[in-house]
Amino acid sequence: MAEDIQVVEVSKAFLIKHNKADSLKSKVIGFFHKRYRERREILWALKGITFTVSCGEAFGLVGRNGSGKSTLLKIIAGIYQPTSGSVKTPGNARMGAMIELGAGFHPELTGRENIFLGASMHGLDRKEIEGIYEPVVAFSELDSFMDTPVKNYSSGMYARLGFALAVNLNPDVLLIDEVLSVGDEAFQRKCIDQIDRFQAEGKTILFVSHSADAVKRICARVCVLDHGVPVFVGQSDEGLDRYRALLAL
Amino acid sequence: MHLLYRYREFIRNLVLKDLKLKYRDSVLGFLWSLMNPLLLILVYGFVFGHLFRGGLSDLPYFLMVGILPWNFFAQSLMMATGSILDNGNLIRKVALPMEVFPIATVLFNLAQYVLALLVFFPMALLFFKVSVAWSWILFVPILALHILFTVGVCLMASTATVFYRDVRHFVEILLMLLFWLTPVVYDIRAAAAPLRSALYMNPLSYFILSYQEVLYYNAYLSLSRLGTIIALTACSLAVGCLLFVKCKKRFAEEV
Repeated sequence: MAEDIQVVEVSKAFLIKHNKADSLKSKVIGFFHKRYRERREILWALKGITFTVSCGEAFGLVGRNGSGKSTLLKIIAGIYQPTSGSVKTPGNARMGAMIELGAGFHPELTGRENIFLGASMHGLDRKEIEGIYEPVVAFSELDSFMDTPVKNYSSGMYARLGFALAVNLNPDVLLIDEVLSVGDEAFQRKCIDQIDRFQAEGKTILFVSHSADAVKRICARVCVLDHGVPVFVGQSDEGLDRYRALLAL
Repeated sequence: MHLLYRYREFIRNLVLKDLKLKYRDSVLGFLWSLMNPLLLILVYGFVFGHLFRGGLSDLPYFLMVGILPWNFFAQSLMMATGSILDNGNLIRKVALPMEVFPIATVLFNLAQYVLALLVFFPMALLFFKVSVAWSWILFVPILALHILFTVGVCLMASTATVFYRDVRHFVEILLMLLFWLTPVVYDIRAAAAPLRSALYMNPLSYFILSYQEVLYYNAYLSLSRLGTIIALTACSLAVGCLLFVKCKKRFAEEV
């Protein structure tokens, strides 16, 4: 298990399609009319990112909106493929990607049904899910709402259930994308405490945020991104200074 | 493959979710799933039995044997076509084997198909003096091949829809045409020569004919017929899987 996450020279290009021709009709029209033809523009969301997160380390990714943080996290999670470069993740580790809390919940299903659906989505079998069910309910503090469809939940409750599920999937590597901005203050503290506990247990954490305080609290090292380019990789204090300088620009 | 096995609980939950949501809060529940084939059988039974006077005895039973598997195929394809696109929200946020979505829709429709069989077959035995024959055993391998064939087609259609949104509309219209180009509501031997050659160009015809042979005519499958549906299934699965695996890396960006 003592393996690192290695991000080597990762670049990611997105094709921006103006007049996106995603139907056959627009393809045919584009063939005859230049004006309606699909114009393609390449946007480099990430350029040459290299860093290593060692096992058990908490590593931060900071940058402004649209700087490529989330894209990088999705590449590490295996959702996107890098255009060039490579990402090496520990082969047998459970990756827990918290990219959006409760992403797989169905509004019509009850809290209980959603826990089972959401947990199975990450490859757990029924026994494992039954094992984590009680801890999820306890963490979310939503005991009396388990038979209510989640469409009737408030957004805070929804996020709580999502976070409770995500932490109980018992991942070895946590990829956290800006999810602490939800819920009330008490619950936020609970989340931070949980992350501290994960750190104490020696889990690897990749933390994406544009909140300098949260990053400083959790991460020893950071990578600062600006327009997809890594402007700094190293100690948090120095990195956050660079980040603040970027913001001031 | 092993990923699909690991995610079997997810597939099961997806199918259960669809079944649950479909019937939640409705009074008649799953009976609604039987209405569609029942109505089709009654309407076509009336049209072909009384208006055209086709040559088949126990026409409703003949219709049942064709319409139920047709519905399974058509509804699976319709649902699976948008299955990747409709789950885009999930695909963009969770790393999971995306094959589960078209496969779950096929299994969902399989559940309805089996349910309909369980209700309609006893009725047929009761009302139409259908006699049980050993050839019925062959229904099992035909069904298995039919399921795999459908999975292959659904993989292709769900992939294509991600890149060309109009595939959905195309499939809808194609299915309407295909219904008449498959010997579902009439006997292939009653079809005129040009139509018959068109029927033999349609891969689905061979599956429907196989069902009819073993369930309606109580005959065994010829080796060539069996070989044909095995070959069709292999082709469909191979093309479907290859296409899907080749394109799925781009799904998260395109949906």
